[in-house]
Amino acid sequence: MPGFGSINTALTALRYARVGMDVASDNVANVATEGYTRRRVESASVDQGAVPAMWFRSTGQGDGVAVTGIARVTDEVLNGRVRREHGRQSSLEVQQASLRRVEDGLAEPGPNGLAAALERLSSSWDTLSHDAGGAAARGAVLSAARDVVDTVRNQRRHVEDEMADQRTRALTDVTEVQGLVRDLAAANKAIVSGTVNGSDTNALRDSRDLMAVRLAELTGAQATVQPDGSATVVLGGATLVRGATAATVTIASGVAPDGSDDGGPLRLGVVGPDGSAEVTPGGELGGVAQLLDQTLPAYLSGLADVVAAVATAVNTQHRAGYDAAGDPGGDVFSFDAADVLGTLAVAVTDPQRLAAAGVPGPSRDASNAVALHDLGTLGGAYQQLVTGLGNTSVEVGRQLANQTVLTQQVDMAQQDLGGVSIDEEMVNLTTLQRQYEAAARVMTTVDSLLDTLINRTGLVR
Amino acid sequence: MTLGRVTQQQVVQRSLHHMQLGSERLSRLQEQLTTGRSINRPSDSPTGTATAMRLRGSMAQAEQRERAAADGAAWLAVADGAMSSATAVVRNARELGQQSVNGATSPAARQALAASVTQLRADLVSLANTTHLDRPVFGGVTAGSRAYDDTGAYVGREGAVVRSVGDDTKVRVDVEGRSVFGPDGDSVFTHLDDLATALGAGDGAAVSTALDRLSQDLQRIGTAQSEAGTRAAAVDRAGQAATDQRLRLQGSLSEVENVDLPETVVQLRLQEVAYQAALGATARVLQPSLMDFLR
Repeated sequence: MPGFGSINTALTALRYARVGMDVASDNVANVATEGYTRRRVESASVDQGAVPAMWFRSTGQGDGVAVTGIARVTDEVLNGRVRREHGRQSSLEVQQASLRRVEDGLAEPGPNGLAAALERLSSSWDTLSHDAGGAAARGAVLSAARDVVDTVRNQRRHVEDEMADQRTRALTDVTEVQGLVRDLAAANKAIVSGTVNGSDTNALRDSRDLMAVRLAELTGAQATVQPDGSATVVLGGATLVRGATAATVTIASGVAPDGSDDGGPLRLGVVGPDGSAEVTPGGELGGVAQLLDQTLPAYLSGLADVVAAVATAVNTQHRAGYDAAGDPGGDVFSFDAADVLGTLAVAVTDPQRLAAAGVPGPSRDASNAVALHDLGTLGGAYQQLVTGLGNTSVEVGRQLANQTVLTQQVDMAQQDLGGVSIDEEMVNLTTLQRQYEAAARVMTTVDSLLDTLINRTGLVR
Repeated sequence: MTLGRVTQQQVVQRSLHHMQLGSERLSRLQEQLTTGRSINRPSDSPTGTATAMRLRGSMAQAEQRERAAADGAAWLAVADGAMSSATAVVRNARELGQQSVNGATSPAARQALAASVTQLRADLVSLANTTHLDRPVFGGVTAGSRAYDDTGAYVGREGAVVRSVGDDTKVRVDVEGRSVFGPDGDSVFTHLDDLATALGAGDGAAVSTALDRLSQDLQRIGTAQSEAGTRAAAVDRAGQAATDQRLRLQGSLSEVENVDLPETVVQLRLQEVAYQAALGATARVLQPSLMDFLR
């Protein structure tokens, strides 16, 4: 029955326009908010004859519009990719930054590195052979030997400081992970109960997704969103969060609570809803694990091999000679084979004990000094070691560059879908404004019709 | 990438990313220009690093070779000078002996000649003890400061003083005393003693014998001197080669390690322009919105 129901229809339009404008203003307000996903008003036209039934005949033309919900424009598949790529990215980032610092500490190639110190030691033997009796030349050999020891120690300290920094980072990261896991479980609980009682959980869902991305960055853990809106987070088979239950995350091995090295590989201990497990982390902690368990120890042991080889070769040749008094030479370098870098020291304290001569008894023979010079710098293995580290760094840098492009792409795709466009919101606002105006106009028209009917019917002038 | 919607965040993130890339490139070029080196850490060029380390090693070696050659040349020059003087002294003694053979036979004159020869012998002993940097050049590897004692007996210690002047090239820079002055008992000092004694005694036959011996001694000194000269020439050549090598290596090292200044400056200019373009584009892209045009 056509009638004055259209005044009611116009009212639904006014309501819809106001909800739409609320949502648009919310979107505009959050254009720069991290993790905000744009909202969209979902609506449906109201039609009482939607369900045909016997003896029922709809004569209406539709009863306006209804707001069916306010939806976040998001895609879980895409969000999953974003989390995965962010995890990989942060693993590479932490590695590259660390390798860069270690490399800077090597001072290679240059006049202050270990290669240059070994060259100076080799040259000093030859200078000693020019003046086997001279105290100055003997002193120069000793100071060159001490220079080698100091350079080795500095390099070791530099790398070990870096490892200590990375262990501290692991500790802070795990603390952050523990906090995130707890917060995420709380958010899960709020989302589930909010959904049940019909309140708006969109903001909670935004923060849930943000926390899931951060967890992926820190540990490489993967989150899946359940139909009830809660997120389940799994790391290497161990459940970190399920519904409102959070796991306890600790460092199982690799770093002692005081930040020192406990000798084992870096692993996380998870005591959670699905039992307890030890897992290897990914993400930033994975990068730290790679550095602490492989890259940096491998460099240190390579350096130890190089230094031990040099020290042994010099010692062997030195023992074949005779010192200024004509007595057989001893060791130049002392070290403990179990901890070469930590124990390396110059064993000779008296310059007169340097065995330059190749013949016993008092003489100024310098044939052993010549032989020591002929050993060369023994720097070939060290060159390989440094170049190897450089190559690792280049490789990580290249992977990071590729990964950055990939991460950027998924971020862009996510923004493409869920980001706020001010232009779009402006268009929506204008449309809604016009809709509001038009609906108001409908009301005026119906009002004027009623006015005619009520006040003017039957009047004859 | 297909762009459906372009959102504000997208524009901001992409602009930031590109500006960061631009400023990172700028800062890398700036580092290269301010340090003057294109390799500041191994990862800047692993192969370049290996080459640079090798070149630096070779350069240090070449410098050491130069020092060795200079030192060796000094040793040989001192020995050469001593041997020249020794030749003059022995020749002088022979002339004195010849004078007695040619007629100056009065006992007083002969005594005077004998005294002169004895003096010359003392001079020769002091020449045989010529030192370079406190080491007797004819004394081998002796720890003492003399090669011959006052009686003319060898007190040095046999052994070669060598300098490494090239790859596997070692040159002996001392001169073995007995190869110059003769073996103990048959040395130039003994012969001078014999000459002085013969002159004092007026024994003409003994004087002649001594003179013959001395002329053999002269030959031996000459041989030793020319042999030392050959070695000095070798040391000079090696020193020159080491200098050439060092300069060549310096050039190669600079090619590997140092920046190509004009190219880097041009690159810097280019990156500056690119960076400014990125800034300009960002400024233009972030500015407009539909709001500027509604109402």
